[in-house]
Amino acid sequence: MSKRVARIALLFLLAGSLWAFQRGIRNLFPDSDDETPPADGNEKAEFMWARLRYSNFQGGGGMWARRGAWTVDFPKADRQFLQGVRRLTRLQTRSMEHIVDLISDDIFDYPFVYAVEVGHWNLPDAQARKLREFTDRGGFLMTDDFHGTFEWDIFTTSLNKGFGDRPITDIESEDPIFHVVFDLKDRFQVPGIVNYPFGQTHEYDGLEPKWRAVRDDKGRIVLGICHNMDQGDAWEWADNPRYPEKYASQAYRTGINYIVYAMTH
Amino acid sequence: MFEFLFNYPLTVFQKGTLVFASGWPLWLLGALVLAAAALVAWLFLRKPLPRARALVLGGLQWAAIALLLLMLFQPAVSVSQLKPQQNVVAVLVDTSRSMALEERLGKAVGLLNSGLLEQLKKRFPVRLYSAARDLSRLESLPAMATQPVTNLGDSLQGATGEAATLPIGAIVLLSDGADNAGGLDTNTMAALRRSRIPIHTIGFGREQMDRDLEITDAQIPVRSLPDARLSATVTLRQAGYAGKPVRLMVQDGSKTLATREIRLPDDGQSSREVISFQSGPAGAKALRVSLAVLDGETNDKNNAVTRLVNVEDRKPRILYFEGEPRWEMKFIRRAAELDANLELVSIVRTTQNKFYRQGVTDPKELEHGFPDSIEELFRYQGIIIGNVEAGYFNAQQQSLLKEFADRRGGGVLFLGGRATLSDGGWNHSPAADMLPVLLPDRKGTFHREPAAVELTVAGRDSLVTRVEESPDKNMAKWKSLPMIADYQETGAAKPGALVLAELRPTSGGRFPLLATQNFGRGRVALFATGGSWRWQMGQDSKDMSHEVFWQQLLRWMVSDVSGRVAAVTSRQVYEDDARIVLQAGVRDMNYLPSAEATVEAHILGPGGAAAVVPLRPVTGVPGAYTGEWRAEAPGAYLTEIVAKQGETELGRDVLNFRREDGVAENFRTEQNRELLERIAQQTGGRYYKPEDAGRLPQEIEYSDAGISVKETHGIWNAPAAFLLLAGLKAAEWLLRRKWGAV
Repeated sequence: MSKRVARIALLFLLAGSLWAFQRGIRNLFPDSDDETPPADGNEKAEFMWARLRYSNFQGGGGMWARRGAWTVDFPKADRQFLQGVRRLTRLQTRSMEHIVDLISDDIFDYPFVYAVEVGHWNLPDAQARKLREFTDRGGFLMTDDFHGTFEWDIFTTSLNKGFGDRPITDIESEDPIFHVVFDLKDRFQVPGIVNYPFGQTHEYDGLEPKWRAVRDDKGRIVLGICHNMDQGDAWEWADNPRYPEKYASQAYRTGINYIVYAMTH
Repeated sequence: MFEFLFNYPLTVFQKGTLVFASGWPLWLLGALVLAAAALVAWLFLRKPLPRARALVLGGLQWAAIALLLLMLFQPAVSVSQLKPQQNVVAVLVDTSRSMALEERLGKAVGLLNSGLLEQLKKRFPVRLYSAARDLSRLESLPAMATQPVTNLGDSLQGATGEAATLPIGAIVLLSDGADNAGGLDTNTMAALRRSRIPIHTIGFGREQMDRDLEITDAQIPVRSLPDARLSATVTLRQAGYAGKPVRLMVQDGSKTLATREIRLPDDGQSSREVISFQSGPAGAKALRVSLAVLDGETNDKNNAVTRLVNVEDRKPRILYFEGEPRWEMKFIRRAAELDANLELVSIVRTTQNKFYRQGVTDPKELEHGFPDSIEELFRYQGIIIGNVEAGYFNAQQQSLLKEFADRRGGGVLFLGGRATLSDGGWNHSPAADMLPVLLPDRKGTFHREPAAVELTVAGRDSLVTRVEESPDKNMAKWKSLPMIADYQETGAAKPGALVLAELRPTSGGRFPLLATQNFGRGRVALFATGGSWRWQMGQDSKDMSHEVFWQQLLRWMVSDVSGRVAAVTSRQVYEDDARIVLQAGVRDMNYLPSAEATVEAHILGPGGAAAVVPLRPVTGVPGAYTGEWRAEAPGAYLTEIVAKQGETELGRDVLNFRREDGVAENFRTEQNRELLERIAQQTGGRYYKPEDAGRLPQEIEYSDAGISVKETHGIWNAPAAFLLLAGLKAAEWLLRRKWGAV
């Protein structure tokens, strides 16, 4: 009996700690998502930022699982990043994101697609094959914000349904994707806000940032895989004084390089 | 009948001039005729007759009086007439191989032996000649038609040349008119006309064969890039096989490059067929274009022709300048990367102060952006101007862009975009001259709206827009292409421009999408969208229509771009003609015509034949050089033209030509009546069918060539005049009776 009481007490203690922890972080990074579309949000433009909607891997939980892991940082990260794209490049971009999925064929109208938290995605075979067809036609997918071995395995399980014949390789620092607009030879891990307040830039066992890619027959990157880093949080919280500028700055440069690379290769 | 009515044959009237033997002034005749008219009018209008009847009767009476007055003035025809036995008549018999068909030579000889020659000899001394490659004297009528060539021009000029030593009064040519040595050009015809010797022609052979297929022409570009899509435009005609299917082929040696089934046109009609094929690897090629031989063909040797293509081992470089990152650029680059024979160098303004270069061969290339010197810009063979405003380029660069096409001979392609064409101020730029369309004088011409694309009639035949081999499949493919993402309004196409495809925006309207035109030595195209990438993203990844279209458009831009030396021969295939004319255009280091170059042609021929032929400057045409050489042996010849200025080599060009003997005689084997009639009509002679040739000896007399006298033949007493007079009076009498006006 005493053991059972002790277990229940421990459970309450853990739950309370988690609540307190999250509340503390939220106090540091208050949820300031303004979901009001920008005035020019429907402007027709050369570039449309497309965010991939996918179904979650079973077993995930929490708020993101209910809302869908694909929505993490949405929409503030997208819109704040697009402001930077407009300011720092000559690219004519729409100010608001567009949601695409692998069910309809809409994705083929948006040759650059961003997918977040792909360590939680679960692509049925047909969707994985459509993703492959998307890149075979010339599309580019940038993935972000998934960490550690466990999420990597989930990511590759779905990916391999469409890209099983394509090796995933590390991107060399000399690759054009790190130089097309900004020189990004020396890079560091961009942390999410979950662990950053505790002086930690990694999540789970994802200690090292991994810049990886799947390439096509011509050696062009068609999948830019940002593993063990969180560009999305850096874009989302770039305007927050508590989030260091150096991470936001690298994330902006990275995102811009990936877009311009996708538009030139 | 004519001679009975008018006393003399028609030829007298055709060759003679009207004179009046009375010697009275002509104004007197006019005055008398007018006076007669006044008198008759005065007499008849006073009569109690309805006005119309008075006018008719008066008119008849006046016509009779006028005719009598005319006869009183003694009209006559003054005509030059050859003096009998003092003029020579040259009789030319065509002895080329085509005269052996249908026993044409036998019929010609038979006609001469049946009395024609005798009749001529009664009036004139006759000289016999054989007309084939050139003129040769005959002592007796020929028995065989074995000559491999017919050069009527040289033969006839040879006969007229005899007039320098002989009083040639007329020439009689017995031929099927099949001239296959190209010797009857405008200059030759003018020379024959100047000799003032009438040439009478007698045509032999059917004017249309019963059952025959013939390729009359095949046009193939003489130069090509490796693995390029080329087309042969084949003109053919047929008799006896109307509507039948037949296989058209293009072969390189034993390798079939393309084959296609076509339907034959109606009897006697020509039709034009286009067949496309891949040029293959670099090298000089002799392509055989042929039609399958059908059952019962009279002549199966005219079903194939040979054409030469020089597939050049070069890799043109195209500079693509893009004002901002665009999807169009990515997908154009991808299409070009699949073409091993094109090099696309691109430069895009990524930020306000940064460029991103791709395809450069060294770090210095384009490091300062778009070139502003001839040395740097003219290294490329093509330029693509993407979404960039005219004002980005300084005056020097805008001028160079125009010179690039005009002087360099390069290809320029303008793309549509939100900051280009009218929206980018190009309508006020000097480069507006080079565009194949007019640009509206307003902004807001760029629209991000979907638009369908439709091929025009010209686009259906163009290789640029041929994404499928079969024309029907190609049309269907273009109709099924996804809509493009955006478009730009332009004005109408300029005169001389070719619109290959049009835009049909969903919001309505119709604008040129793809238009091309030649500009100076180069060519310019407009592609009024930045949204063709949807053809790639909107179709299966295995579909190659986007890639093929772009590769062909890029190749079109640069396929004919020459270096500083551009050489041609007057013909590709010299049939039975050894005289080779070489021509070269030479430009200096700045691509201006170079008048002080040393130009040589190094010729390699069959059997190790080799020659160096100097080319001389052409007077009055700066930068043009020409030279002649005789290629005696049949076979393929390779020629390299090298131009130097001092010790500096300006450039070199390679071309090939072919000599063939005895092949041309197999073509156009039916009687070329049109040519024989033209020769006769231009020289004052007449064309005769063999059955009408009996009139020739008499009609030949009327000529002012040789030794002739002017004869005046009165015609006032011709029966026709009396019959007319009687007719007028009889008509008047009958009308008077009918109307009671006697």
